[in-house]
Amino acid sequence: MRYSTALVILLLLTSPASAGDEQYVLGADSKRKDGTPVGKVTRHSHKSELFPGTERDYWVYVPAQYDGSAPAAVMVFQDGKWYVNEKGQFRATVVFDNLIHSGEMPITIGIFINPGVVPAAKKGAKARRNRSFEYDTLSDQYVRFLVEELIPAVAKDYKLTRDPKMRAIAGISSGGICAFTAAWERPDYFHKVVSHVGSFTNIRGGHVYPSIIRKTERKNIRVFLQDGANDLDNLHGNWPLANNQMAAALKFSKYDFGFVFGEGGHNGRHGGAILPDTLRWLWRDWKPQTGKDGKKQ
Amino acid sequence: MNKTLARSLLVIQALSWIIAGGLPSQDMPLDQVLIEGEGWELVGEGYKFTEGPACDPSGRLYFTDPPGDTIYRLGEDGKPEVFAKDAGHPGGMMFGPGGRLYCTQGAKRRIVAYDAAGKTEVIASDVRSNDLVVTGKGGVYFTDPRAKRIWFVDPEGRKRVVDEGIERPNGIILWPDQGTLVVADTNTASLWTFRIEDDGGLSHKQPYYTLRLTRSHAPKSGADGMTVDRDGRLYVATHAGVQVFDTQGRISGVIGRPQKAFLSNLVFAGNGMQTLYATSSDKVYRRKTKVRGLLFTSPGTPPSKP
Repeated sequence: MRYSTALVILLLLTSPASAGDEQYVLGADSKRKDGTPVGKVTRHSHKSELFPGTERDYWVYVPAQYDGSAPAAVMVFQDGKWYVNEKGQFRATVVFDNLIHSGEMPITIGIFINPGVVPAAKKGAKARRNRSFEYDTLSDQYVRFLVEELIPAVAKDYKLTRDPKMRAIAGISSGGICAFTAAWERPDYFHKVVSHVGSFTNIRGGHVYPSIIRKTERKNIRVFLQDGANDLDNLHGNWPLANNQMAAALKFSKYDFGFVFGEGGHNGRHGGAILPDTLRWLWRDWKPQTGKDGKKQ
Repeated sequence: MNKTLARSLLVIQALSWIIAGGLPSQDMPLDQVLIEGEGWELVGEGYKFTEGPACDPSGRLYFTDPPGDTIYRLGEDGKPEVFAKDAGHPGGMMFGPGGRLYCTQGAKRRIVAYDAAGKTEVIASDVRSNDLVVTGKGGVYFTDPRAKRIWFVDPEGRKRVVDEGIERPNGIILWPDQGTLVVADTNTASLWTFRIEDDGGLSHKQPYYTLRLTRSHAPKSGADGMTVDRDGRLYVATHAGVQVFDTQGRISGVIGRPQKAFLSNLVFAGNGMQTLYATSSDKVYRRKTKVRGLLFTSPGTPPSKP
């Protein structure tokens, strides 16, 4: 095979929208609808104590329906810039507007957080990129950063829920395993998890989760996983196998979980296309149930 | 397809990642480093204990035998020859600006720099030390494992402690752009990173790299000497072998030890700095690679020759 032919094939295989992804397109719930109120997004920056020296941007989405009279639900996204982008693969804030308007998810404040970097003091020197350390490490350090630093910063301006069932956390790739780790370490804080093409592979030891899930008393968390047959197979592991192992382990241990396995690659195309349905499933029972006597159950 | 078309396709590819918010993984698997069919070759043997491999500006290898009080270098014939005797238990070494060879001298409790003629200048005295790294500006960071300290000697020769508390600080190295310092902890699974401030001080300490442990030595990694290549990979000598990390602190893999004996230190040297040299107990080894090391002999970011 000629070099150039090989290159073309390589490009096709590694494109963000490879052959398996083309079938996944955004639906009506990921687009603006006339008459649907539009929430407000503001950009902020944060310097961390728990990850010393790191700096990062984050965005706060506040739905139009939020008036401060009652605490809002919270959903945290890792790699925030990818989820908050209204022209990106997820368009989470548009989906939020639509589903909050239709009552299919609660009034939710979205917190979209970028990974940290430690900028170099020396001019021209590279920053220390902290994404892998923060997302791929199996410890409670990242969730502590959320619970002790970042969410309290947002709570200064908004009334946020104190109910773990009203808190969700999501991410893509290493951000996906990060979301799972956050809830795994603090199920008393985060009840709901969404992982898109999650890196449950050995980047920093995350491949052990399936066996740990099988041999640990069940935790009260709800987990949604999305992956595709054309996801990565590299030095860290095989993403399709790893996500299937995760799903099998969650099933074995009788978790409240959802698993959508398609044909996509390592990107947000499939996860983005199904995000409205994912959020419907995730928040399916958010409304207080009323019994025959009209009292809350 | 011609080269121009191939290039434009690559650009389109890069743009499409950016537009689509794609997920470039920047993986650095071991096959980017190792050459199929190439293994460790013996360079020299019969020493008491080998340490301190260093590459001079021409690519020539120097190393130490601390208990033998001797510094060796490779001669024109590629065989080790004596560079300096009665070297005061020489440990870690590195070439600095001006082509001088900086060296720790445990028995003399000092850091010295040798010129080409073998004449020494004292850089710091009354200090315990193990390994060192020399910046392009002529500053020297060195480790003192027993006191759990990292020292800095500024280019004017003033010394001060810049970190305390790592369990057993041992190997010490810079990132290629000299903005970040890395220190190996022999007694744990961590390599620590620091931001280097303008005055040489260290900040934002983090266990950025996590080492693979062996069952027989855990929780000690045995992490000792380190080196980096021009792409920013970091190589560290440990009980498990030569552990290789990518620029995000993720382990790329482990290269097997040259022999079943303690592996102390590593450096890239030779023509184009493409040969990885390893000091291990009584022997020195080398193996050819696909990557290139670099010298820190100038303050700038671009790697210097060879």
